[in-house]
Amino acid sequence: MDAKSDRADRLRGEAGNPALHPVMTDTAPPTAAEADDGGTEQNASGTPDDEDDVLIDTTVSTGGDGGSTVRSDTVIESRNLEVHYGDEQALKPTTMEIPERRVTAIIGPSGCGKSTFLRCINRMNDLIDGCTVDGELRFRGKNVYDEDVDPVALRRTIGMVFQKPNPFPKSIKENVAYGLEVQDMDVDVDAAVEKALKRAALWDEVKDQLDSSGLDLSGGQQQRLCIARAIAPDPEVILMDEPASALDPVATSKVEDLIEELSEDYTVVVVTHNMQQAARISDKTAVFLTGGELVEFDDTQTIFENPNDDRVEDYITGKFG
Amino acid sequence: MARESYQEKLDDLRDDVLYMSELVLERLRDGLDALDRKDEELARTVIEGDHEINQLYLDLEQDCIDLLALQQPVAGDLRFIASSFKVITDLERIGDLATNLAGYAEDADQDRYPDVDVQSLGDAVIAMVEDAMMAYAEEDTDACFDISDRDDEIDELCERASQTVVRDLIEREVGPDPPQSEIEAIMQDVSRLLLTIRDLERVGDHAVNISARTLYMVESDDELIY
Repeated sequence: MDAKSDRADRLRGEAGNPALHPVMTDTAPPTAAEADDGGTEQNASGTPDDEDDVLIDTTVSTGGDGGSTVRSDTVIESRNLEVHYGDEQALKPTTMEIPERRVTAIIGPSGCGKSTFLRCINRMNDLIDGCTVDGELRFRGKNVYDEDVDPVALRRTIGMVFQKPNPFPKSIKENVAYGLEVQDMDVDVDAAVEKALKRAALWDEVKDQLDSSGLDLSGGQQQRLCIARAIAPDPEVILMDEPASALDPVATSKVEDLIEELSEDYTVVVVTHNMQQAARISDKTAVFLTGGELVEFDDTQTIFENPNDDRVEDYITGKFG
Repeated sequence: MARESYQEKLDDLRDDVLYMSELVLERLRDGLDALDRKDEELARTVIEGDHEINQLYLDLEQDCIDLLALQQPVAGDLRFIASSFKVITDLERIGDLATNLAGYAEDADQDRYPDVDVQSLGDAVIAMVEDAMMAYAEEDTDACFDISDRDDEIDELCERASQTVVRDLIEREVGPDPPQSEIEAIMQDVSRLLLTIRDLERVGDHAVNISARTLYMVESDDELIY
């Protein structure tokens, strides 16, 4: 079974290991410590308790052929999603569809709501006091803000990598294995660590020093270590919030190459201030502008060659924002 | 500050492309005048001045490369630079065609085929280039389509002119035993005139290319490119 179908089965609740099922649970929300960018990877604690409950149905009816089903190309869909921090609106009603196993870039000036939108996808905004979310954020058709969705289980399926590399003060191996262990995943840890480090294009550089501290690595290596940690539990979606903004050009290039490779197996949503980076690595680009408004969402080529909205043209050519 | 400098560079590129077009059009007119008057001195000026156009082309090409490499333009700016990059190539080729016309001037014999009005044809294609560059300067997409339509007429005129020359050659009576020198003179006149017609037709084609790139530059519409 390949990685994709394996993950699909997990979501459908058909995989053999119930511990891997991101099911609906009454698990307590993440601790306050997890609200910190530096400490919250894709997974926190929480153990699923019912393998028959399915978080999200991965299939949709085509309706035109007597009810056969196909995999939807859209994996994440927002419907009039809006966010307030207290009385302040951070994100205006936003509707967009994020395709599966593609890189979707979110660009826009500071304070435009792009990170807010990203954090809605795996409910990281739950951890912010005074944050209210309205509308729907559907992951494989299921609104992740429904009461029966466990955010911890959700974050197991939708991982996250942050702007600043944030390895734990542990060994390289322990960093990668952390997500597996806290989730009590019954897997061969050594094999899973190697697999994740290889996928993160870091294995060759660290295979002889797995017991060294993750903090001893360079900035670029630390960020790839964090990516390895994010993908070790084999999520479906990886959210990245300016993953290369703290890196030098060489490390940035490696992370960009890695993002492209990851998109073969994962859906990647990346927030970036670097428009050329968005142009280089993404298939789709969403442009948010001041006030939390999604102004345009289209193929990246269209956005950067012939945007529809004059405000987008002005923004990406540096005349505005 | 950096963005102001970038915008200035874009404005400079536009101005320089328009300056290059004025230079090329001047050489094209001079080439035609030299041909019309068999003015060897003017022809020499056109031929020797071609290096100036070539150098300007290389300079502007470098400007485009610098803008692409250093400013990483997108959207309208990208289309403007990419289109300008192509337009200067067309202008450089028109400059080469002007030197061709000048090169025919010394030996041209306009009297042998009075029915072929090279000057009118030349005026028509010069007007096309002028209008194409005006469309580029003013981002006039209607003019782009108009120029494309006019090129069809030019093609037809050129074909008719070529047929006139060939038909005359076939029907010409040179007697049973014409001197070799007369045969060679006729052949050179014919091939020179046919080349002149072909060169003018190509000037029209370059005007259409400029229009096509202008349309793409303004509206991201590649209809005239293909």
